[in-house]
Amino acid sequence: MARVIRLYEKKRGHRRTGSARVGRLGELLFFAVLSLLGVVGLAAMFFWLVVPQWQVSHRFVPHTCVVLDTRVRKHPTEDLFRPEVKIEYQVDGKTYVQWTYDIATVRDDPSSYLPDQKEQAEAAARFVVDPEQPREYPCWYDPADPHLVVVCRGSKWWTWLAFSVPLSVLLIGAGGLLYTWVSWDKSAERKAAISSRLAPKRVLRANGESRPQFPCVPDGKEITNSPGTKLRFRLPIAASPGWSLFGLFLAALLWNGIVGSAAVYAVTLFSQGRPDWRLNIGLIPFIAIGLVLLAYFIRKLVMTTGVGPTLVEISDHPLVPGGDYRLFVSQSGRLKVQRFSVALVCEEEAVYRQGTNTRTETREVFRQQLLCQEGFEVGSGVPFEAQCTMHVPAGAMHSFRATNNQVRWKVLVAAEADGWPPVVRGFPVVVYPPSEHNILAYQCTDRL
Amino acid sequence: MHRPIVIIRLDGNGRVYRPGEVLSGEFRLSALPERPPKALEVSVLWYTEGKGDPDMAVHEFWRYRLSDQQSMDLRRPQRFSTQLPNSPLSYEGQIVKVRWCVRVRVFLADGKEVVGQKVFRLGGVPPAKCSVNELAASQRPALLGVADP
Repeated sequence: MARVIRLYEKKRGHRRTGSARVGRLGELLFFAVLSLLGVVGLAAMFFWLVVPQWQVSHRFVPHTCVVLDTRVRKHPTEDLFRPEVKIEYQVDGKTYVQWTYDIATVRDDPSSYLPDQKEQAEAAARFVVDPEQPREYPCWYDPADPHLVVVCRGSKWWTWLAFSVPLSVLLIGAGGLLYTWVSWDKSAERKAAISSRLAPKRVLRANGESRPQFPCVPDGKEITNSPGTKLRFRLPIAASPGWSLFGLFLAALLWNGIVGSAAVYAVTLFSQGRPDWRLNIGLIPFIAIGLVLLAYFIRKLVMTTGVGPTLVEISDHPLVPGGDYRLFVSQSGRLKVQRFSVALVCEEEAVYRQGTNTRTETREVFRQQLLCQEGFEVGSGVPFEAQCTMHVPAGAMHSFRATNNQVRWKVLVAAEADGWPPVVRGFPVVVYPPSEHNILAYQCTDRL
Repeated sequence: MHRPIVIIRLDGNGRVYRPGEVLSGEFRLSALPERPPKALEVSVLWYTEGKGDPDMAVHEFWRYRLSDQQSMDLRRPQRFSTQLPNSPLSYEGQIVKVRWCVRVRVFLADGKEVVGQKVFRLGGVPPAKCSVNELAASQRPALLGVADP
């Protein structure tokens, strides 16, 4: 007999044997517990941190006191400290002597202790103890119980920051609950229909002109925002080397800065005649990593600046299958080029999860050689320039972008020069679906 | 008790559809269950297959609560039609495949679901790096009126 509800599941190919209903119930329970934790946490923090402060500000009576003594008290078990002030004050003719500071200290709250001993000592030192001429300081006491007195009002900055923890838990829980409720008992198609209705639809261009909609086709706005000098548009490079260089520079700087300061400390100890050999030996691998990082950065810098920038301009964009376009390519630098080639490339990209890892696989499905030149020199200030024609195959798949799957087109420039490692630079382009789609128009040579 | 099968038929005998063209067809159930179904959903959608995790988007979606429309006899063909979008076109790539289909999901009274779908091609993009024979095979028309449960 088939089980009504399966509490565990097995994956058989694409089919799962688990109960979706139990799964959704578990999800609902998880987010409900998370929301509850957030609410309880917020309420507890409100009553623990906000209410006492509010009482001090609104219910406690302002008064004056004289300071008899000050001290910095250490937490009984941990390396935490708090300032304390011994004061004397009179209420209705009765004299009270109390150790106090703020409301957290009065309630002997763990939050009254902080790690910075010096800062706590400075806070206590703000109250001057003068047995000859005692100074008066303001204080606030509880009219219901005059023993409860503070000399410091207001909350510490971190108390408000602490609210972000239960608030985040509540937001995640409530968001999850809302999502589970919205998607409860709904088919995948219905959920997709709801999300497509919620997604903003951009039908108008910036100038208000309407355009045909091409769902899942990138609009390529970032490609056409730079005019070219020879042709209409200058194509942006796929991954700007500037940012990766900057990232590498920052990493090298940070690593070598930390390791360098430790090395300076080790050298100082050595020069003082009390070397720390454990530190010295321990530093060696870190220094080695720092040097490798630095060398890698310098190599990348030399490669980027040495080979020089590559410019690609195109006569029109976006591209349409069956269309012909002119391409202008320029390569700067001082190079003795062995081989320089330009190609139009289409590749598929698939993102998939394997366990907890996310993997990306890319497959080139089309390559059209546009230009290939061998054995020439590029002089300083005289860049290599060439023009060629690019034909997008009539039956080409348009650019396609979904969450996990993509079809991408790009102009690929590859250069092999003496003394340099091969350089490959990609310039993305967008291919739109044909406006008049003729399924019989494909020629065998144009086929993907 | 036999569960009903969803039978979908597209007008034009499963030919290749052009972007912006009207897709129309009909669906029916092979038999009616003992208790009438609770609801019915008809979607025209695309989804991906291949190496990557699947993506899906619904172009047109209709939902019928059958308790409110007792007059609908699901054994008789029910018509649907929609104007197809400009993209994405059907694509048979090497690691990315884009497929279009009409999917009918019937929610039975016992809480179970019966699903039938009919794949069709939007646009005539040939498979990636295929030979002439493969292209001819890919453009062969699909059988009519057969559900892919």
